[in-house]
Amino acid sequence: MKYIGTGMTSLTNRQLAAGKGTFVADYKPEGMLHMAVLRSPYASARIRSIDTKAAEQMPGVVYVITGQEVAANMNPIFEAYDTAAMGAKGVKWYALVPERVRFVGECVAAVVAEDKWTARAAADAIEVDYEELQPVTDPEKAMEPGAPLVEPEWGDNILVTRDFRSGDPDKAFAEADGTISGVVKQHRYTGAAIEPRAYLANYDPYQDLLTFHASTQNPHPMRVFLAETLGIPETSIRVIQPHVGGGFGLKIPTFQEEPLLAYLARKLQRPIRFVAERTEDLLAGGHAREERLYYEVAYKKDGTVTGLRAKVIADVGAPSALCGWGQSFVTSYCIPTCYKIPNNRVQLFSVVTNKCPWNAYRGYGKEAASFMMDRIMDNVARETGLDRAEVRLRNYIQPHEFPYSQVSGAMLDSGDYPKALRKVLDMIDYENFPAMQAAARKEGRYLGIGIGQELTPEGCSMPRSTLLGGWDGCTVRVNPSGQVTILTGVTSPGSGNETAIAQIVADELGVSIDHIKVIQGDTDTCPYGLGNYSSRSIIMGGSAAKVAANELREKMLKVASKLLEVAPDDVDAEDDKFFLKGAPTRFVTFKEVASTVYRDCHGKAAFDVEPGLEATRYFKHPNVYHQPDTQGRFSSYPSWPNQAVAIIVEVDPETGKFKIVRYCAVHDSGVVINPLLAEANLHGGFVQGIGGAAFEHLVYDESGQLLTTTFMDYTCPTAVDVPSFEVAHQETPSPFTPLGTKGVGESGVTGPLGGLCSAIENALADRNVRLTELPLTPSRVWEAISAAQGGNR
Amino acid sequence: MISREYEFHAPKTLNEALSLLEKSGGNAKLIAGGMSLVPMMTLGLAHPDAVISLNKVPGLDGVKEDGGVLAIGAMTRHHVLKTNPLIAQHAPLLAEAAKYVGDVQVRHRGTLGGVLVHADPAADYLPVCLALGAQIKLQSAKGVRTVEARDFFKDIMTTSIEDGEILVEVRVPKLPAGSGSSYQRLHRVEGNYAIVNAAAVVEPGKKKGRVALGGVGPTPVMIDVSAHIASGVSDDALRRVSDAAFAAAENAYGDLNGDAKYKQAMARVYAQRVVRAAAAQAQ
Ligand SMILES: Cc1cc2nc3c(=O)[nH]c(=O)nc-3n(C[C@H](O)[C@H](O)[C@H](O)COP(=O)(O)OP(=O)(O)OC[C@H]3O[C@@H](n4cnc5c(N)ncnc54)[C@H](O)[C@@H]3O)c2cc1C
Repeated sequence: MKYIGTGMTSLTNRQLAAGKGTFVADYKPEGMLHMAVLRSPYASARIRSIDTKAAEQMPGVVYVITGQEVAANMNPIFEAYDTAAMGAKGVKWYALVPERVRFVGECVAAVVAEDKWTARAAADAIEVDYEELQPVTDPEKAMEPGAPLVEPEWGDNILVTRDFRSGDPDKAFAEADGTISGVVKQHRYTGAAIEPRAYLANYDPYQDLLTFHASTQNPHPMRVFLAETLGIPETSIRVIQPHVGGGFGLKIPTFQEEPLLAYLARKLQRPIRFVAERTEDLLAGGHAREERLYYEVAYKKDGTVTGLRAKVIADVGAPSALCGWGQSFVTSYCIPTCYKIPNNRVQLFSVVTNKCPWNAYRGYGKEAASFMMDRIMDNVARETGLDRAEVRLRNYIQPHEFPYSQVSGAMLDSGDYPKALRKVLDMIDYENFPAMQAAARKEGRYLGIGIGQELTPEGCSMPRSTLLGGWDGCTVRVNPSGQVTILTGVTSPGSGNETAIAQIVADELGVSIDHIKVIQGDTDTCPYGLGNYSSRSIIMGGSAAKVAANELREKMLKVASKLLEVAPDDVDAEDDKFFLKGAPTRFVTFKEVASTVYRDCHGKAAFDVEPGLEATRYFKHPNVYHQPDTQGRFSSYPSWPNQAVAIIVEVDPETGKFKIVRYCAVHDSGVVINPLLAEANLHGGFVQGIGGAAFEHLVYDESGQLLTTTFMDYTCPTAVDVPSFEVAHQETPSPFTPLGTKGVGESGVTGPLGGLCSAIENALADRNVRLTELPLTPSRVWEAISAAQGGNR
Repeated sequence: MISREYEFHAPKTLNEALSLLEKSGGNAKLIAGGMSLVPMMTLGLAHPDAVISLNKVPGLDGVKEDGGVLAIGAMTRHHVLKTNPLIAQHAPLLAEAAKYVGDVQVRHRGTLGGVLVHADPAADYLPVCLALGAQIKLQSAKGVRTVEARDFFKDIMTTSIEDGEILVEVRVPKLPAGSGSSYQRLHRVEGNYAIVNAAAVVEPGKKKGRVALGGVGPTPVMIDVSAHIASGVSDDALRRVSDAAFAAAENAYGDLNGDAKYKQAMARVYAQRVVRAAAAQAQ
C-alpha cells in the first residue's frame, strides 16, 4: 500500500490514550529537589535590596539565589533571534533580574528545596525592597515623547521599525474612486497548553554532563542557548524532550527558568525540577497578538483595490531573549496577504511596554495581517455595493502569477485562492444563504454569513538565527532484520508529525509502517535539527526524511536488482518487497535485502555498495532569500499555505452573544501526507482561533497588573462552545519541496477573526454594525450594536 | 499551590464538627465539595489554620419531603439536584440551575450549601433560592436558626452566617401545581460562572410572580412583578418588568465580562425572558 495521502491515527495514540505517556513531571529521580521562583509584583521597579534570611532558615530549603549571583556567574540569556541582524534592539536579560524588573512575573529570585511546597513557601518568604517606577502599558502612549522608558539606555520604546513601499501609493489615492480608512485591533492573548512549562535538570560531575529534560519544542537550539548562557561546552549538555502536552510556539526557548535551573543543578549537583503553575504561565509564559493596524485603502468602483497604506503598532511587552517580538515583524511582512495591490506603504512600529514579553504563538503575527485584509475587503464591498466574495475574487493574486513578490519582499510560492474560495462558498451554499437568512428573520432569528481568508506563511527562516532556519535533518537507518529507525531533527509537541514522517519513509522504502520506529527529541541520538515551529516539521523534517530514505532506497534497489538479476531501473519497492516492475511475483523481501547488505557485504549482490544502511541527510528550502535588496528586504518564509472559511452565526442582538451555526473551511497546504491528522490539526487551530476571536483575553490594568491569571478569568472555549467543523482540502503543491508539502500546523487560527466579524456584521446588516476590535465578547458586540443605534438602548 | 500548612479534620458527627469549629476560634474553614475553597486556598485568598471536612458527617445530604417543603441537605451535590425526581417535580428551577454549574466533575463534588456560603454574586442557585422563597437552616453549638434566602446574602461573598455555624439544610417550599418557572443565564463559556442570571416564578392563574436576578450587583436582587402582570402578561407588562429589573440592578458593577451599563441592560433582557417563559408554563 501507499501511505502518503492516507489518513491514519497517530503512532503515539495507544500510549497517550492509555495515560502511559511520559512528561517531565513524571520523572522523579532519586534525591530530586524542587525549584520555585519569586516573581516581580510590579510592572516596573528597581530592586533596592533582597533579604533571603527567612527563606534560607526554613527547614527543607537547600539554596536561595538572587540576580546578583546570576549576573556574576552567567551570561545574559542567549537570544533566539540575532537582534542585530534583524535591525532590532536587544537587551541583556538575565535568568534572574539583578537590578530592574520590567513586567509583573519577571523572575527575581528562586529557592531550591526538598519538596515543592517548601520551595514555594520559602520563595514567598524572600523580602524584596522595591523602588516602584512609572510603568508604561499602552503602546501608543509608549511612543509619545516623554513616556516612561522600558529600557532607559534605548532613548525610546521602539524595538524595531520597518517601512516597505511599492508602486506609487499617493498617485493611487489621488486617482481612486473612493478611499476608506480605519483601524483593526487585536488584543493580547496566548496559547494555553494543558501541560505548563516544565524542566528537570540533572548534573553528573563524573561525566561532566548536564541532562536537561524539557517540555520544549527545540532540544538542539535549547542546548546551544544553555551552553552559551552558562558558558559551558555544548557537548556537556544533553537535552531530552519527553512527551510534550502542547506547545503552540510557547515552548520555544529561551525563558529565564531554563538556564536558571541548569545553573542550579550544576551548582548543587542534585537533580532539580521546575514545573510552572498555570498562573505563572499566564503571567510569564509568553504573550502574543496585541496589535493595532491602521489602514487607508484606495479602490475603484469595480472593487479593485489600487492602494494601501498600513501602519502596524505592536505592543510586544518587555524586551527579552524570546523570539516573540518577531511576530510583529511577520504581521508587516504578510500585508497585503493574498491580494494583488500594486501600490503599498507598510510601516511597522514594534513597541516595548511593561507587560509580559511575547513568545511565539501559533499564527505568529500572520493572523493580524489576514484579519486586517478581511476587514478591508468587507469594507470595500460595503462601499461599492459589491458582494464580499466578489471583491476578494477581483483582488486575488491569480494562480498563474506565482512566484509572486509582495511589497515586503515576501516570495509567495504558489496557490489557487479563487478556487478555494469558490469551493467553500459551495460547501456552505452561499448562494442560497439570503433566502435562509430571510426565513430565519421571520422567526425572529438573526443569521449572518461571513468570509475569512487566511494566508499562513511557514518554514520561518530568519538571518543568523540559532532557532529559526529553513532547513532540517533526518537519519534513516534500516536495521539488519529489516526494521527501520528514523531519527529526526524536528520534534512533535503532540501533533503527530512522527506519524507523517513514518508514512513518507514507508512509501520511499516500500516498507510497511509497522516496521518503523521514530525517535525524536534527544540531542545525543538525533541529528542536529531545529525542532518544531512554523509548521516546519513536514516541510523541512519530512523533506529531509524523504531525501535520506531515498538514498537508502537507491542502495537497496541496487542490491535487490542484483539478487533478482535485473536492471535497477526495472525494480520497484512496496509492501516489504522489491519486485520486478510488471511482474510483482518476482521479488525479494525487504528483509532479505537488508540482511544481504549487512551479512554479505563481500558477496556478489552487495559487493559494490558501501556497507551499512544508514543515511543522514539535510534539506534546505530553496525559497528563502537572505541577501537584502535595496530596501533592506529579505524573504524569510518559503511556504504559503492558505485557507478560505465561511461561517454562519446566529446573533442575539439583545445580549450581543452569538453562536456559530456552521463552520466550513477549504484548506490548501499543498500535498497532504496524512489527511486525518492534518484535519485534527485544523480543528485545534479553529478552536484556538475562535478562542482568540471571542473568548480569550489577557487583560492588564494601567499599572501593569495582569487581571486574568487563572482559567476562570482567561476563558478558553471547550468542545461545547464550538461547532463541529466541515473541512475540505485543496492541494496546490509547493514547487520547492520534494513532496509538494507546505505545512499545516499553524493553519486555522486566522479565519475566525475576520470570518466572525464578517458574519456578525452580516447578521445585523440592517443595523449597520461595525466591528473593528477583538475579542467579540457579548458585551463588545452589544456595545457595537448600541453604537450603531446612536447609543440609545 | 497551597504552600501553607494546615490541620485537616474529618469529623464523623455534626456535633464533633461543631465543636471543632468552635474550638478553632474562627481560623478554621469548613470544606464541602472544595470546588471553591480549594481554588481560594491555591490562589492564597484563603489561608485557614484548619480545614474541617463535612464529607464524613452523616445526614447532611439528600432531598426529603417535609409536608409542603423540600428539605435539602447542605451537602447535596449539584448532580443530585440536577437529577432528583422530587426536585424535578417540586422545584424544577433548582434542577435547571444545577445543569449549568461548572462541568461534570464540579457537579459531582460541589454542594448546594457550599454555593450559598461561598456566595459568588453570579452563582446559579442564588437567584433560584430567592425566587423559590427558600429558607436557610444554620446550626451552631448554641442551636439552630433559620434565615430567609433573601436576607442571607449581605455583600460579595459575604453572608449572614456566623463563626461557629454550619449550614445544614435548605428548605424550599414546593411550587404549587400550575406554577410556571424559568431559569436562564448569560455566560461566555460553558462551565464557568454566569455574567447575569435570572429565575422567575409565576403562580397559578398568572396574576402573581417574582423574578430574582444574579450578577447585577454584590448580592442577588428580587422583584415582585405581580403588579405588572396582574392584567395579563402582555408585551407592555413585560416592558414594565424589564424597567423594574433595570432599576433593581442599579448596583451592578463592571468586571472582565462587561461594564455596569451592560450588566444593567442584561438585567432588563433576562428578567423579561424568564418571566415570559415562566408565564408560558403557568396555568
Ligand atoms: C471549574 C468550576 C466551575 C464552576 N462553575 C460554576 C458555575 O457555573 N456556577 C456556580 O454557581 N458555581 C460554579 N462553580 C462553583 C461550584 O458551584 C462550587 O461547588 C461551589 O461554589 C462551592 O461548593 P462546594 O461544595 O464545592 O464548597 P467548598 O468549596 O467546599 O466551600 C465553599 C465555601 O463554603 C463554605 N461551606 C461549604 N459548605 C458549608 C456548610 N455546609 N456550612 C457552612 N459553610 C460551608 C466553605 O467553608 C467555603 O468557605 C464552579 C467551580 C469550579 C471549580
